[in-house]
Amino acid sequence: MDPSGTVQETLAVEEKCVSAVDAVLVQELVQGSRVVALVEAKTGFGFFMYSTKRMPVQGSDLTLEKVIPVKEDFTVEVINDPAKAHLIGSDVPVKVCGSGQVLTLELPFGSKSGNFLTALRRAISLYTSKPPAGVLQPFAWLQKYTQKLATTDLTEFDPLSSPSQQTSQDWPWSALVKPPSGPTTPVAFAENMGMEGFEDNFADKLSVQSSSTSWEDTSSQQDPWTEVDSEADGGSSEPVVRGGSVSTMGPMLANRPSVREPIVRMYMLKEEAKYTHLKTFRIFAGTWNVNGQPATESLKAWLASDSTPPDLYAVGFQELDLSKEAFLFNDSAREEEWVKAVTHGLHPGASYRRVRLIRLVGMMLLVFVRSEHNKFLSQIEAQTVGTGIMGKMGNKGGVAVRFDFHNTSFCIVNSHLAAHTELYERRNQDYSDICARMQFNLTQPPLTIHKHNVVLWVGDLNYRLSDIENNEVKMLIDKKMFSDLLTHDQLTRQMAEGNVFHDFSEANVNFIPTYKYDPGTDDWDTSEKCRVPAWCDRVLWKGDSVSAVEYRSHRSLKLSDHKPVSCLFDIGVKVIDEDNYKRVFEEVIRKLDRLENEFLPSVSLSCVELKFEHIKFLEPQKRTIIITNTGQVPCQFEFICKLDEKEYCKPWLSVEPYLGFIMPGDSYPIEFEVYVDKNTAGRLNSGEDRLEDILVLHLDGGKDYFVTVQGDYIPSCFGSSVEALCNMRGPIREVPVARLVDLEAGSPSKTSPEDSFDPLPIPKEIWLLVDHLYKHALRQEDLFQQPGLHSEIEEIRDCLDTGIPDTIPGRPHSVAECLLMFLESLPEPVIPHQYYQSCLDSCSNFELCKQLMSQVPEHHKNVFKYLTAFLRELLSYTDDNKLDPKTLAMIFGVLLLRPKRDENRRHNNQQTTRRRATFVYQFLVNPYDG
Amino acid sequence: MAREYDHLFKLLIIGDSGVGKSSLLLRFADNTFSGTYITTIGVDFKIRTIEVEGTKVKLQIWDTAGQERFRTITSTYYRGTHGVIVVYDVTSADSFVNVKRWLHEIDQNCDVVNRILVGNKNDCPERKVVETGDAQRFADQMGIKLFETSAKENINVEEMFNEITRQVLHQKKETQAKLAAQTNETIKLDKHKGHKRRRCGAVGCKM
Repeated sequence: MDPSGTVQETLAVEEKCVSAVDAVLVQELVQGSRVVALVEAKTGFGFFMYSTKRMPVQGSDLTLEKVIPVKEDFTVEVINDPAKAHLIGSDVPVKVCGSGQVLTLELPFGSKSGNFLTALRRAISLYTSKPPAGVLQPFAWLQKYTQKLATTDLTEFDPLSSPSQQTSQDWPWSALVKPPSGPTTPVAFAENMGMEGFEDNFADKLSVQSSSTSWEDTSSQQDPWTEVDSEADGGSSEPVVRGGSVSTMGPMLANRPSVREPIVRMYMLKEEAKYTHLKTFRIFAGTWNVNGQPATESLKAWLASDSTPPDLYAVGFQELDLSKEAFLFNDSAREEEWVKAVTHGLHPGASYRRVRLIRLVGMMLLVFVRSEHNKFLSQIEAQTVGTGIMGKMGNKGGVAVRFDFHNTSFCIVNSHLAAHTELYERRNQDYSDICARMQFNLTQPPLTIHKHNVVLWVGDLNYRLSDIENNEVKMLIDKKMFSDLLTHDQLTRQMAEGNVFHDFSEANVNFIPTYKYDPGTDDWDTSEKCRVPAWCDRVLWKGDSVSAVEYRSHRSLKLSDHKPVSCLFDIGVKVIDEDNYKRVFEEVIRKLDRLENEFLPSVSLSCVELKFEHIKFLEPQKRTIIITNTGQVPCQFEFICKLDEKEYCKPWLSVEPYLGFIMPGDSYPIEFEVYVDKNTAGRLNSGEDRLEDILVLHLDGGKDYFVTVQGDYIPSCFGSSVEALCNMRGPIREVPVARLVDLEAGSPSKTSPEDSFDPLPIPKEIWLLVDHLYKHALRQEDLFQQPGLHSEIEEIRDCLDTGIPDTIPGRPHSVAECLLMFLESLPEPVIPHQYYQSCLDSCSNFELCKQLMSQVPEHHKNVFKYLTAFLRELLSYTDDNKLDPKTLAMIFGVLLLRPKRDENRRHNNQQTTRRRATFVYQFLVNPYDG
Repeated sequence: MAREYDHLFKLLIIGDSGVGKSSLLLRFADNTFSGTYITTIGVDFKIRTIEVEGTKVKLQIWDTAGQERFRTITSTYYRGTHGVIVVYDVTSADSFVNVKRWLHEIDQNCDVVNRILVGNKNDCPERKVVETGDAQRFADQMGIKLFETSAKENINVEEMFNEITRQVLHQKKETQAKLAAQTNETIKLDKHKGHKRRRCGAVGCKM
């Protein structure tokens, strides 16, 4: 399929896709399908590369990935890989360089890629020969495309990333997609597509391309129905339905019509007897070497000497034209007159239609059929093979016509084999060459002569009589002792020895040899050479239900040095019985449908509902389910994203492995882990999220399974907000969940009297942790730098969540890590997100820093003040704890000042980290009391 | 050799849990029935090729989970569907009441789609609670066809699938006809021009 049309859909109306081709982008370890295109604008060319998830592509599948202007630094080079050079038909590796980018691509072997490369080179030479003069920015038009690139997350193109991240997929044959607006019937919808300006559509497309729902709009550019058609029509290798899914979900048919159709054909052939019966048809097969003479005689004596008109004529000529023109240019003036002679010579008792004419130099084959049978002829094809001079030229060889008559396949060959008495082996070779080289390409794989139900072979085969004197031959002929004479016939001998015409039959030769006469007479050759008479001209056949009725020569025709020969056949042809055919066809399709269903991938899961109990902060829990391939085919499974979601599961859940491949009968464990950490605790505490998820397990080319995951999360002060914690006098576990949700929502409902108290200045948990460190760890070396013990950290967490302890368990390092973790888990950091950028901007100016801090909400400010005071206190024990302000600033800078999570990546560079530390540093080295 | 099929349509079966969606599919695709009830937890599909009005149609039929908790996920499978089969259980009034919700679901997720209403388990008159008359009135109101089937006894299943396929096929043909009419008009205009020019040429020759 040529992708240039699809590429064009993605372009603005002023730009034109010159050429486009499917390609494979070779990256370090992986290869990915791409479409590359050459795009022409008024002022120059651009090289575009699109990523695609599917072949063949549709507009909605193409995502622009690279745009390179075709200018002075643009090169394209075919890489000669000696290892692959001998592989004809292998992909062509190509290196494309330009604008500092190097792409290694593999283009499919063939003319399309060739054309593409030619177009690219032409574009380059156009640029170098005629650089766009007078245009300031010849490549300004590329900007509108590159802008789109910049906003696209490049990870999307990573072929290793889950393909399900792409939500813009659609069924290749899907119809009835939502139009962008307005029209509600497919008709109106189709009208719209046809009538609307391309620009309007294009604008739509541009605006939606970055959104996840783009497929709806982009696919609306296509007629919802035509797509279905193009696939059903496809005799080509285009798949009807391919891997991928309705926006990543749902199964696909693995089978393509091109895969199933040969199977249908095979089954139908096997069942042929059930829907056909034999009907006998009369067929006339004739051959005449006319020695280059003009058609001056009526052919009726040859073609219409019987009372019954035959159903089909196959008439072969040799030496139709001995001119140089015929030999060199296959151009014959004689052709027309002989065709006319044959047409006039056909049996007058019926009307005939010419099926096919084929001629190679002097060999011509004409096939006629009675008009009423014409509609039962199909798959007609003619071919030639030359075996003459150099083994190739057409002075000798064969021409053939094949066709299906009802349900029987016919191949009719007319050949002229090598001359001269002693060269019978050469004739055998010619026969073998014709058989080997004659191919009919209507079907895949191509058919050879022998693959046909019936083969009729006529021609001047040129076999002579050997080991016998001329006068003896003539004597036997006079006595009509043909059987004695036939023992000297080279063809009879060679066939008996199995050297030529294997499996062919010939009727009894009961006529006087047809060669060689003085033209215009019935007299044997009287020339100098005085040739021995021979049966050069023969008719052979191969196939079931063929019987020869009459094999003869027609001596009244005198213009040539040969006499014409004919053989009448009665051939049983398989005629289709429509009703039975339909019934058998339905049976076969039904059988295939069942097979297809049976061979759909299928698995069983040991469990589809996973329940996790009492999930605690930072305490992972695991469950395993077993997936077993219960189908009959190997299958690939994958957990895929639900529509409009970026991940296949919630962030507190992970599945290992999330995709895999299982052989039939094999089982595989899949591990589900629920793990609530600082990133997810906040949303769970606040009730924004719950431990509930439904995962979609998709089988490639098959069905989907839903796996439900549920659990209950035990709220923790970790991940709770500063405000909520300040409003809790007791431990978090004693607070009813509903109130927790209210608190996190920032509406502390003080309905019950025990709730009515003034909020604490800072969360008691921070106070407990800091106070513990203040009391026990001021002189501790490597504080905040050595990790704590996991078990102790869990203990501390439970302790904080369940009560208000007098002492905190665990060693100082564990308590210190808990404090850091606590700060890190705060949904809103100590310095709220909204101040983040201002803090960074003013980090070098303490006065400004102080000013900023004065704007921060009270509880947050309290925490900040409290923490910095504690850190300054720590620094007064520098001699013992070896801490310095810079180290502490580095540690606390990234905790107290945090960007919003989705902006995280952009801010996690060295520069911002340093500025975050600098901000905190100011408060460690300068006196600060708010 | 006739082509394997002329059209490929996607059909979707929806309806409450336990009304017999999977059984209908199994009966139609494999001509089997299993008395044991297995809830579909996910989305299954099977194919079958049938001939409707001389046209060979390959159907890909999707069977969805009916349980309420999966509704948001299953609704995403409506896309690209040509026909939807809404199934209720004639022995369950609730399942019939819910048909309205399922139809609403279709409106929400598909733009133009052929629909058919199917009352399954119609093989035991004593247990039938949704009267044919009521169902028919409702179907008429909604402008859709009603079929009462039994996957168990293989009653009306083929007919029902044939009917929805016919509807989809008709709609497709209509769409194509209208499109063709449009293009024809354009071609006619062009031809007209062409004729004129040729005639002029001929006149020129005579002179």
